[in-house]
Parts: sequence; structure tokens; C-alpha cells
Amino acid sequence: MKRNHRLDAALSLLILLGFTAVVCLSRSMDARHQDVFAASEERLYLKGTTAKRLSLAFNGLAADWYWMRSLQYVGGKVVRYEDTHPEQAQLDDLGALDLRLLPSLLRVATTLDPQFMAPYEYAAMILPTFSRDEAISLLHDGIEQNPAAWRLYQHLGYIYWQSHDYAKASETYDAGAKLPGAPRWMAEMSARTAAEGGSRQAAREMYQHLYDESNDDQVKQLLERRLMQVDSFDERDRIRRALQNYAARFGRCAASWREVAGQLQTLQLRLDPVTAAPLDPSGTPYVLTKKGCDVDLDLNSRVPYR
Amino acid sequence: MFAPTRTIARNTFREAVRDRVLYNLVFFALLLIGGAIFLGELSGGQEAKVIVDLGLSATLLFGVFIAIFVGVGLVYKEIERRTLYAILSKPVGRGEFLGGKYLGLCLTLLVNVLVMGAGVSLALAYVAGGRNPLVLHIWPTILLIYLELTVITGVALLFSSFSTPALSALLTFLVFIIGHLSADLKSFAASMGGTATRWFFSGLYYLLPNFSHYSFITPAAHGYVPSFAELIMALLYAGVYVIVLLSAATLIFSRRNFK
Repeated sequence: MKRNHRLDAALSLLILLGFTAVVCLSRSMDARHQDVFAASEERLYLKGTTAKRLSLAFNGLAADWYWMRSLQYVGGKVVRYEDTHPEQAQLDDLGALDLRLLPSLLRVATTLDPQFMAPYEYAAMILPTFSRDEAISLLHDGIEQNPAAWRLYQHLGYIYWQSHDYAKASETYDAGAKLPGAPRWMAEMSARTAAEGGSRQAAREMYQHLYDESNDDQVKQLLERRLMQVDSFDERDRIRRALQNYAARFGRCAASWREVAGQLQTLQLRLDPVTAAPLDPSGTPYVLTKKGCDVDLDLNSRVPYR
Repeated sequence: MFAPTRTIARNTFREAVRDRVLYNLVFFALLLIGGAIFLGELSGGQEAKVIVDLGLSATLLFGVFIAIFVGVGLVYKEIERRTLYAILSKPVGRGEFLGGKYLGLCLTLLVNVLVMGAGVSLALAYVAGGRNPLVLHIWPTILLIYLELTVITGVALLFSSFSTPALSALLTFLVFIIGHLSADLKSFAASMGGTATRWFFSGLYYLLPNFSHYSFITPAAHGYVPSFAELIMALLYAGVYVIVLLSAATLIFSRRNFK
């Protein structure tokens, strides 16, 4: 009996030591093979059609896996970028991140499950800055597979609008507006992009509708920032006019926000209670530039600069 | 009238419970609850879709494993333990014995599928605060999964009536795979030049079970509900196929010499 206890203890110790050794060895091997892993990250082993065939009845689950892998891929690149750069990566301007695998990942996800709308939306938001043609191609394939999905027309129209192709954007919105179940604003967007595609009002409506339709928190955050940007453009125009009026009346530009606080209050802008600086839509005070003759965003503001 | 079949079915179910076959349900419930919590963070707002895909795929996969690994041992174990002699010495026909074994395993699978389906519905209700229509809309698809499992059980029983458990499991799993690739068999047949080859592949397409009629997991995750006609046709197809499989199994089994 005593001997058995001793044997049990010895075996338990052996298991513990064995596991410790396995962990140490594994870490050592990972460190040695980091270069190999880095290279293999940039490769997809399966085409969408092959993956679909191999997934049997589980193609939906496989599509989810590729979708989540897409999100992890972008997230990983963003984290690495922010670790090595002082500025934050913005979701709608990820050209610097070298997301070469993203179009393929999204394509595999949509080939496995052509009715899966989230990858199309993500493609419309993320891909155009570095792979516009791939984004358009993916959306066209999506429309082919889901001819009744008006949201895909909305996303495709957004891609064209972003690239200032207002005629095509209008045409796409118009095609989507004719589908059963499409909301009335699709037709309104078609008319708006045709008549005044580059206007702020068109942009505001575009972002607002995309925001209302999206379920993706990341996409919603991106659109929220774009909406703040459009509002900020309007606000800066109004502040600029106030600064010009001040300069015209006193023959010099304002030395501080306090000097124009009265005028700014009449413009219904939110002011900082201490400095009287107007606050941008993210709540960060605007800054006076050109010796008080102009206004700009603070560098720490969440409102996109471009 | 079917008293021996009912008794064997009941005992087969009890045996499966005793063999802890239903323990996988605990694992499944934990998987779903854990998945529901963590996937919300990973899926970018697609929690409901991922839960349906994951939950129903797991229901099918677990069911297939139970159907295959329990199914192939149903007859073999009775022969191995020599309990078959005791059963067949009573007024029990070989067809009744096989039918009872089949129904017992189908009952086990039914409990499995119902509990797993309830787990998926609960996980959906958890992530959507009980307001997601998918909570109810997935049930016709769960019925189709169960029907597919009944056919796979029939296939496993057929193979086990004349082969070893290992070979039966392998062959049944291959039938499951081929059954899900039947669209390829059809397109093979259409693309073949020779008439004989075309007939061969067409024959395979029609004779092997076509599980694409039961593959609604991915559409179900988008809220698609199979129509009543689709369900009835699938039920008929499964019913007819199971009758064929059990008849063939009985035919082979009744010719086996156990001396």
C-alpha cells in the first residue's frame, strides 16, 4: 500500500515535470520558428470553392470561422501597427497595414455562405482604401448570389460614392431601390448622389443610413466618426465666419476664444466652461490657428482629420 | 403485436443511457454556453448566426458519431456477448430484433437532438434577450437533422449486420460524406461522356442517400424556415430509405449462421 502511494507520487511528479518540459520546449520551438510562422500567416491553404466542398453540411460554421479569422487578422495587424507607430490606425484607412490576406478571407467566407451579409458590409467599409476593385468584385458576386438583397446595393453604392463615381453610385442606389422591401430613402439617395454627390448633406445621409442598418460595432464606430467629421466641417465653417467677423470689426484676429465667446454662443456651439473654446462633436476643444484667424481640430480629437 | 420490438427498443435505450452515451450532452451544453459568451466578442455582431451554425452543426456531428459508433456495435455486441442466442431462442424474429435495436437507438438520438436543440434555443435567447425569432425558427431544421440521423443509423445497422464494427463505422462515415457530396455525383454524371459511366454515377446519385435534402443549417442561421412541403418530402424520403435499409439488413442478418 505504502509502495503504491510512493508510485502514485512519483508518477504525479513525472506528469508535472513532463508538462513543464513540454511547455518550455514548445516556447523554445515557437521562438525559433517565428519567421516561418510569420511567412505562413500570409497564405491561405484553401480556395473558397474547395473549402465549401470539404465542409459538407458545415459550410455555415466554416464561413463563421473564416469571418472571425478576418476580424482577428485585421485586429492583429491594427494592434501590431499601434505598437510600432505613435498614431492610431483608423478602420477606414488601413492601407498602411498591408492587409493582403483580407480580400481572400472575406471571399472564402462569402463563398462558403453566400447569404452571409456581414463580410460584404465589412468589405465595403475596409477594402476600398487598398483594394477597391476587389471590394467591387466581392459586392457584385454578392448581388449575383442574393439578387433581392437591397443592402448589398447600398454597400456597392457607398464604394462608388467614396471613389467619387457619383453617376455609378446613383445608378446602384436606383437599382437597389427597385427591389421589394427596399426603404424609400434608397431612391432618395439615388437622386441625391446624382444631383449633389460630393455634398456634405449627401455624405451625412450616406453615413447615417449605413449606421442605422449596421449590426457591427466596429463599423458603427467608424461611421459615427465619419458623421462627427461631417458635423465638424459645418461647425468649423461657422466658427471661421465668426472669426472673420471679429477680425473685420476689430482689425485683428482673436487672441483667445474668450474674445469670440459671445458670437460662438449665438451659433449654438458647445463651449468649454473654462477656456470658452468651442467643442468638436467628440467633445475635444477646437484650437485657434494662424494667429487666431482660423480654427482647426485638436490633434487629440477623435474626429477624423481627413 | 410489436411487443418484442418495443421491449428490445426500450432495452437498447436503457443500455445507451447506462453506457453514458448521453454524457456528451453535458459537454455540448458547456460548449454552447461558453461559446455564447465568448463568440459575442469575436464575431463582430454575428452572435446569433454563429450560435445557430455552431449549435446545429454540433447537433449533427454528435448525432452522427452516436449513430455510427453506437449503431455499428448494436448487433456485434450481442453476438460477442452471446446474448443474441438467448434473445433469438425466444419467439423473437431477426427482423424484430433489428427493428428494436434501430428504434432504441433512434430514441436515444431523439433525446440527444431535443436536448441539444433546447440548448441552442436557450443560448440564442441568452444573447438576444429572448426576442430572437431564431429561437423557434431553428426547430424545423432540427427535425431535418434528426431525420438525417435516422437514415445514418439505418446505414450503420445495415453494415453492422454483416461486417466488423471498425469496417462498418468507416463505411457508414463514407456514406455520410458521399451523401453530402451528392450534388457533385450528379454533376459528374452530367459531365461524363460515356453512357455507361453516366448511368453509373446517376445510379449512385439516386441510390445513395442524398443528405443535401436535410442540409438546412446554414440557411437556418439566416432565419430560413423549411416549408411544410419540404419537411413532408424529407420525412417520406427518410421513411422509405429506412425501410429499404432495415429490409436489407434483415435479409442479410436472417441468412447469417451463428453456430
